[in-house]
Amino acid sequence: MVYNLVHIIEQSAKEFPNKVAFRYMEDSITYKDLDVKSNQLAHYLITRGVKKGDRVGVLMHRCLETSIAIYGILKSGAAYVPIDPFLPNQRIKFLINDCGIKHLVSTDKQSKKIRKVLLSKHNLETIIGLSDLQNIETISWKRVYETLLKEYNSVNILSDDLSYILYTSGSTGLPKGIMHTHASALAFAKLVVDLYGFKHTDIVANSAPLHFDVSILGYCSAPLAGATTIIISDAHLKFPISLAELTEREKVTIWYSVPLLLIELLHKGSIQNKDFSSMRWVLFAGEVFATKQLRALMQLWPHAEFSNIYGPTELNQCTYYNLKVPPKTDNPIPIGTTWKNTEYKILDDQDNVVAAGEEGLLVVRSATMMKGYWNNKALTEASLYKHKIAEGFEHVYYRTGDLVKLNNNGELLFLGRQDSQIKLRGFRIEIGEIENILLNYQGVTEAAVIITDVEDNKSLIATVLTDGVTLVTEDNLKAHCKNNLPIYTVPEQILILKSFPRTSSGKINRRDIATMIKSLN
Amino acid sequence: MEKTIIKHIENELAVEEIEDGLEASDDLLGSGIVDSLGMMKLVSFIEEQFAIEVAPDEMVIDNFMTVENICEYIKTKL
Repeated sequence: MVYNLVHIIEQSAKEFPNKVAFRYMEDSITYKDLDVKSNQLAHYLITRGVKKGDRVGVLMHRCLETSIAIYGILKSGAAYVPIDPFLPNQRIKFLINDCGIKHLVSTDKQSKKIRKVLLSKHNLETIIGLSDLQNIETISWKRVYETLLKEYNSVNILSDDLSYILYTSGSTGLPKGIMHTHASALAFAKLVVDLYGFKHTDIVANSAPLHFDVSILGYCSAPLAGATTIIISDAHLKFPISLAELTEREKVTIWYSVPLLLIELLHKGSIQNKDFSSMRWVLFAGEVFATKQLRALMQLWPHAEFSNIYGPTELNQCTYYNLKVPPKTDNPIPIGTTWKNTEYKILDDQDNVVAAGEEGLLVVRSATMMKGYWNNKALTEASLYKHKIAEGFEHVYYRTGDLVKLNNNGELLFLGRQDSQIKLRGFRIEIGEIENILLNYQGVTEAAVIITDVEDNKSLIATVLTDGVTLVTEDNLKAHCKNNLPIYTVPEQILILKSFPRTSSGKINRRDIATMIKSLN
Repeated sequence: MEKTIIKHIENELAVEEIEDGLEASDDLLGSGIVDSLGMMKLVSFIEEQFAIEVAPDEMVIDNFMTVENICEYIKTKL
């Protein structure tokens, strides 16, 4: 019976021992190998004192060892905590201290970075995956793979034990750690396999770094089905043509990423001349996929089904909207309906359920829901909506912070963030609305509207990217906005940029845009 | 050519300060020395500095993985 994440690998190692579980560039690992090597890592961690409930850090770029790190840490009974190597050192130290990491799994590529982290005060005891000597206990991957398993005893892991903690930016400026259990992660993995019909013959493309929840699909759902996951390298993500070539060569059948990567493939990957006939599912999440762009891609890949996935990291995934044929209008596509083992309510400001078709806050209750925020009970409590059934018994929902409403087909429409709703000179303005109008303009590929505040003088500034082919001027766009929006929502300035600052997961970094505009004025 | 490019990366594009200097054979892409935006800037720099035009279909990993690769690529264009 599979009731924790470790069982996934144990089961697939029995059923498909010689199948490739993960591939990265020229390297690959079979399920049997992954099972053995993750046992070796677990055994070593246990001899270093790791026990159930501990947190072990993973500081790695995309590479094959990420799969061994994840499952080795899980098998030791600990939860894995991905640390983005692109983070500034200060932030890395914060994560290590915040969740009390004593052991770090890494690779030689991070050697310099680790040396710097070790310079200041820390509680680290072991670095796994380093060949060079540092001022701390280290062990190379080569030596981990020489570990004998005669004395290895597997840990009894319950589904309620912690499996991973993903740090995400918090509104206060300090990151918050989202805790998932084996149960919530496995519920997600199983629901994905069920909903999209994952098979052992599937080739799943993983473009996400470990600290981004999109990676759970490639690292847990695919192995659950006995499929092969292609770990896409950092280099490929910088060159759309190389990415397209890799996708074609690997005969990828299931794709999952943020819309941005697909848009780059569409515009810069010269995908028209390549064969993507094996692609059967294109999944995307994390941001709104401009309908125009989605349609263009769907027309190029008519054999594939597309799915708009919605769900904050706190819930993994919770809704989906599948498309077999390209959308007919430019209206934003719905986020759809909740999947199995999940329910929702739409609430008004007073936490009352709104009337059908009315706008409100989406709260979700699901088997895929987090345990809470690490070491932050107050924040966890504030993020929950509790519906009391009887004394001592309540249904617990997560407040997504997202505004939604139902359309006439009973599908959820995403309207924007609860907290990106702004007031300007007394008017209530939804940023998403302005962005959608800009996106409707021929030639505009992405749009981000932000509000700047110079000496209490707030103003709306729109920034857009264009396809570089159509002639788009700021005057045209302003006229377009004036034609389609109430005058108080028309941006004061519209800037056509060459690129947007992005977060490490590929989302538009609005805060950086605001800083950039401030420095311009 | 190699030195010009290395200097430019070290001084202008590197995400963090590079200790003990950048080697021509160092992996620029996989190790996070240069991010996506830095890579775009590097392409513009090369185009200007060496008066060449990088065609869209030449924007591939093999041409930009290391400074060595970049130099080999530029030489084919001169």
